[in-house]
Amino acid sequence: MAMPVGPWADRGYPNPDQMVPPEVQAAAERVMARYDMNVAGMTLITAKSDKGGAIWKLETDQGPRSLKLLHRAPERSRFAVAAQDYLVRRKARVPALVRSKKGRLYSQAGGKLWIVTDWIEPLRPVSKVDLAGAQELCYGLGEFHRRSRGFLVPRRARHASRLYKWEQAYRKMAVKIGWFRNLGEVYRDVPGSQALLDVVDKFEAQARKAYQRLQASPYHKLVQRGESAWGLAHQDYGWSNGQRGPGGLWIIDLDGVAYDLPIRDLRKLISSTMEDAGRWDVEWMRGMIEAYREANPVRRQVLEVLLVDFSLPNEFYKNVKEMVFRPVEFMGTELEPVLAQVEASETSKWQALQELAQALGVGKA
Amino acid sequence: MKVLLIVTEKLPVPAVRGGAIQTYIDGVLPYLARVHDVTVLGVEDPELAADERVGNVRYVRVPGKIFGVYEKHVLTFLAKASSRYDLIHIFNRPRLVQGVHQKAPQARIILSMHNDMFLPGKISHEEADTAIQACERIVTVSDYVGRRVVQDYPQAESRLRTIYSGVDVQRYNPRRHRDQVEQARRELKGRYGIEGRNVVLFVGRLSPKKGADVLVRSMWHLAQGHPEAALVLVGGKWYSDNGMSDYMAYVKALADRCPLPVVTTGFVAADEIHRWFWLGDVFVCPSQWEEPLARVHYEAMAARLPIVTTARGGNPEVIVHGENGLLLKRPEDPRAMAKAVGRLLANPSLRQRMGKNGWRLAKSRYRWRRVAQEILDVWENTP
Repeated sequence: MAMPVGPWADRGYPNPDQMVPPEVQAAAERVMARYDMNVAGMTLITAKSDKGGAIWKLETDQGPRSLKLLHRAPERSRFAVAAQDYLVRRKARVPALVRSKKGRLYSQAGGKLWIVTDWIEPLRPVSKVDLAGAQELCYGLGEFHRRSRGFLVPRRARHASRLYKWEQAYRKMAVKIGWFRNLGEVYRDVPGSQALLDVVDKFEAQARKAYQRLQASPYHKLVQRGESAWGLAHQDYGWSNGQRGPGGLWIIDLDGVAYDLPIRDLRKLISSTMEDAGRWDVEWMRGMIEAYREANPVRRQVLEVLLVDFSLPNEFYKNVKEMVFRPVEFMGTELEPVLAQVEASETSKWQALQELAQALGVGKA
Repeated sequence: MKVLLIVTEKLPVPAVRGGAIQTYIDGVLPYLARVHDVTVLGVEDPELAADERVGNVRYVRVPGKIFGVYEKHVLTFLAKASSRYDLIHIFNRPRLVQGVHQKAPQARIILSMHNDMFLPGKISHEEADTAIQACERIVTVSDYVGRRVVQDYPQAESRLRTIYSGVDVQRYNPRRHRDQVEQARRELKGRYGIEGRNVVLFVGRLSPKKGADVLVRSMWHLAQGHPEAALVLVGGKWYSDNGMSDYMAYVKALADRCPLPVVTTGFVAADEIHRWFWLGDVFVCPSQWEEPLARVHYEAMAARLPIVTTARGGNPEVIVHGENGLLLKRPEDPRAMAKAVGRLLANPSLRQRMGKNGWRLAKSRYRWRRVAQEILDVWENTP
């Protein structure tokens, strides 16, 4: 049995995300030999050394292809592979999986799953500076969600679902913000701790309130429609995983897909767009939601849940959660600019949410 | 009777890789197999045979890990089984009931519930209704687990019966192994440089549910009156195979600043665990979220330790406040936790009295023989 493949971030390589260790390279070569193709060249595009994943571009006699080492547990990856295949069959614009000589959708080596897909080119990012670009992304996302409906998990795959876990996730966020406070208190001597303690109550209260709002929202009723009826959310969608290509918008990197309310992807896309802009803009938000609904006409109740999801302190949480791993360093040097940025967009966020709620006619934010 | 026990797809029996359900089955099997012809159907393991007879128990082990894979093999086994089972006892997998019932319609079905496998997301409402209908009895490890089932499925109520789990009391009893106890204390305390300190003991995984973080935070309060104490987190480790979770990082960041020593032992094998209980002066189970009923309570009682536990899930069912331990009404409050632990540390005779009461309780109510007898009552349908 060949060596298992795992993370290599801590092995002292100088640029661990731009290389793979020898056992991974060897496994890649074994995998490629299982496909009906002659490989003239392989280029590592990127690697996730902390997780043990990688993606290569292959030049083959069958045209350009991609080879991907999926870092998750093989049972989990089977879910993603089956989902990708389902989406291809449903004519979603996601790269088609190439079957191995034995007719399999994936290959196994080093204890992980590997896939070979078409290499889609040209792929170009949509414009980040105008609303039209953002709308293209949203429309493509809506198409993806619509076509993912009806997916059934294959027997040998781990069931990947977040559909029923929203309450848990909301509760967890409130709990974890409490962790930040406790560390701020224990590390009071570290500069930056006071700035954290000054705002943590506010964001914790936001998380708790969002949880209450979720409970009062149509969430419970909606999820009863079941996983397959809702279909899949991408879970890591944005400007790099949705790109313009032949025939429209292509969606790549599907390894994290899971059953969920689809608008979770939309919420993340909109929040991060607003965050990057430094200001929440209700016109953009409306434009993005409209574009999404054109492709996937979700009902008003779903939009209600979307608004609740916006009301979580997502931006604060996302940017501060790193502190548990290195509290002294983080609070001392990184925290203050992060807090300044979050604070700066806070006012416009709540203003925009209120206007959005009115515009969509779904109750106040 | 010919009886088939069907375990979960996760861990093998015997409990060579741990697991509460697997430990439970190991504990009662000798008694059950004395009376009935028992086969245990479970998940395969590289270290165990696919089909073997040990004593008078037959073990069959099939591929699993993923529920769907396991289900297929379980049903295939039943379809091919040369002889018929009179009774099939399924552990913690209500989703297996319907298929098993179809393949073995003549068999009576008993279901044991160890946690919340009836919750939405774990099983559909229709599937759960059918499963409950097909079960003669549903055995739960605490009243709490039963109440949770009834909340969503009131029709289950008449089928429920609580059978508390058990422990090998003599293995943990420090009075029975005086020399070994002394040696374990010397060796283990020496290993971590906590000689001469009173040990506050936690046994379990480092997860938010189990609440080790609140216990670590309580050490700031405890240190004021008890600077000689130390906290030992047994089974805990800062790094797992998948790196460090944010929770582990959080607890470690707390521990790094803790005024009292905080020790993590890493994984401890099941056959070693009793030695760690001997190290403790006070046992704390700081569960934060509703738990079915943590096994560690039985082990701590058998080890004659006074227990501080939280009023969460089934935990209060085995603790009589002031008798064998102290019950915390506000599990998230580190100050109250420190107060309870401190009260016990300050009073050796109280510790001893509570430890003794716990031991008596364990001996009279929580032995495997009693667990097995109650399972036999269910099998033999005696009220």
